[in-house]
Amino acid sequence: MNVQWASGLLLLIALYATLGLCFGLPFVWRGVGRIDPQAEQGSWGFRWMILPGVVALWPLLAWRWWHRRPPPTAWTAHQRGDKGGTAE
Amino acid sequence: MSHAYRAVGWNRQKRLYDLATGLGVVLFLGFFVGGGLWRYPDATVETLLIRGLGTAAILLLHVILSIGPLCRLDQRFLPLLYNRRHLGVTFFLLALAHGAFSIVQFHALGDTNPLVSVLTSNGRFDSVSGFPFQPLGLAALVIFFLMAATSHDFWLANLTAPVWKALHMMVYVAYGLVLLHVALGALQSETAPFYGWLLGLGAVWVFGLQIVAGWRESRLDRGRSEALDSEGFLEVCSVAEIPDARARIVCLAEERVAVFRYGDKISAVSNVCQHQNGPLGEGRVVDGCIVCPWHGFQYDPATGTSPPPFTEKIPTFRVRVSSGRVWVHPQANPAGTRVEPAIVAEATGEAGV
Ligand code: HEM
Ligand code: FES
Repeated sequence: MNVQWASGLLLLIALYATLGLCFGLPFVWRGVGRIDPQAEQGSWGFRWMILPGVVALWPLLAWRWWHRRPPPTAWTAHQRGDKGGTAE
Repeated sequence: MSHAYRAVGWNRQKRLYDLATGLGVVLFLGFFVGGGLWRYPDATVETLLIRGLGTAAILLLHVILSIGPLCRLDQRFLPLLYNRRHLGVTFFLLALAHGAFSIVQFHALGDTNPLVSVLTSNGRFDSVSGFPFQPLGLAALVIFFLMAATSHDFWLANLTAPVWKALHMMVYVAYGLVLLHVALGALQSETAPFYGWLLGLGAVWVFGLQIVAGWRESRLDRGRSEALDSEGFLEVCSVAEIPDARARIVCLAEERVAVFRYGDKISAVSNVCQHQNGPLGEGRVVDGCIVCPWHGFQYDPATGTSPPPFTEKIPTFRVRVSSGRVWVHPQANPAGTRVEPAIVAEATGEAGV
């Protein structure tokens, strides 16, 4: 990789992470309780602990906070089977 | 289950586990650096620490990757699985320290940004000896970061178990990158072929274990009979094949179903735990509830729901028993649907529905 590409890539990552941090602090303070009831009374240790992941995945969580989406339910083949009628 | 989230859910067993892990890491680093200084008096502590941290990390990575398949092969390894996430985070911190020290040691002295320097230094893709092995380590570290950063239960709930699991399957990509990082970089300065062999042996061990465990499971899946009655129930096994308070795992509707016997009752539920897809059929029934062998989530076998105040739900299946054989309908009921357990008639082993 040449220096220009490397610097450009790192700049983009730094920008993304900075935006993530600006979003992340209010999110772990307030937003997280809005999208997950179990987080409403979450401890501060928990809030700091999820911050790195929030900075990494912030667009997903921003979308969920904006739409007030609760945690999705996991989807296994059995549950897909309920909907589809035939299970085998 | 449904408590308010805390940073770490410690209990006595987890504390002991973490204490043992920490002690192991400190002892290893002490021996590595101390032994290195004694054997090679010219070596600097920094270099030895970089190598020691890298070596500790890769050893721990092998332990972590072995735990899953070992537990699938033999239940006695389950205590190791119990707190594997803390091992994972410990491993990440070791790898991070190794990467950070390397960057400080080898890249922070010039004028270029150290990270730019990692990505651009010795960029000779056309030769093995000049291949940029450090970017490979960096790429692996990015994946390990994502895994460590999403290891809290919050992420499991909010990304859903299948997505979370897919993310954590990337550990094999990262493992491959680490193998290359070590083979192309670190081993070049080593003259002893011993280290290369050790690395290869590690890879064979990790992939071999996976293959053996997967092969055994697919044999279990194929082991059931295919008889089908007029209402679409499938014969899965005989009552006697299920030990009391235990299950037999069969494969129906693309996924495994756990058929439990507890006292004179038989119930069938999805084998997949809502928490981290643990194998419920390898758990037991305790105080009337199925207990997941991985982290102890509980489910009522007849309804597939966790006892209040918890709210987890898994799909249930209709069951019947006749002439000592167990029949299960392969159509899953929506998660949390109550199904009357089939009753095993005691004296003859015969049963009504
Ligand atoms: C930013 C990321 C990384 C950088 C810059 C980096 C850099 C280096 C360097 C410069 C060496 C050679 C040390 C020497 O020969 O003196 C090395 C060796 C090594 N690295 Fe990394 N590394 C990174 C990530 C990783 C990761 C994620 C692992 C995962 C386990 C790892 C495992 C190892 C191992 C096992 C060695 C061999 C140690 C030995 O020679 O005894 N590295 N790394
Ligand atoms: S997978 Fe964690 S309790 Fe079942």
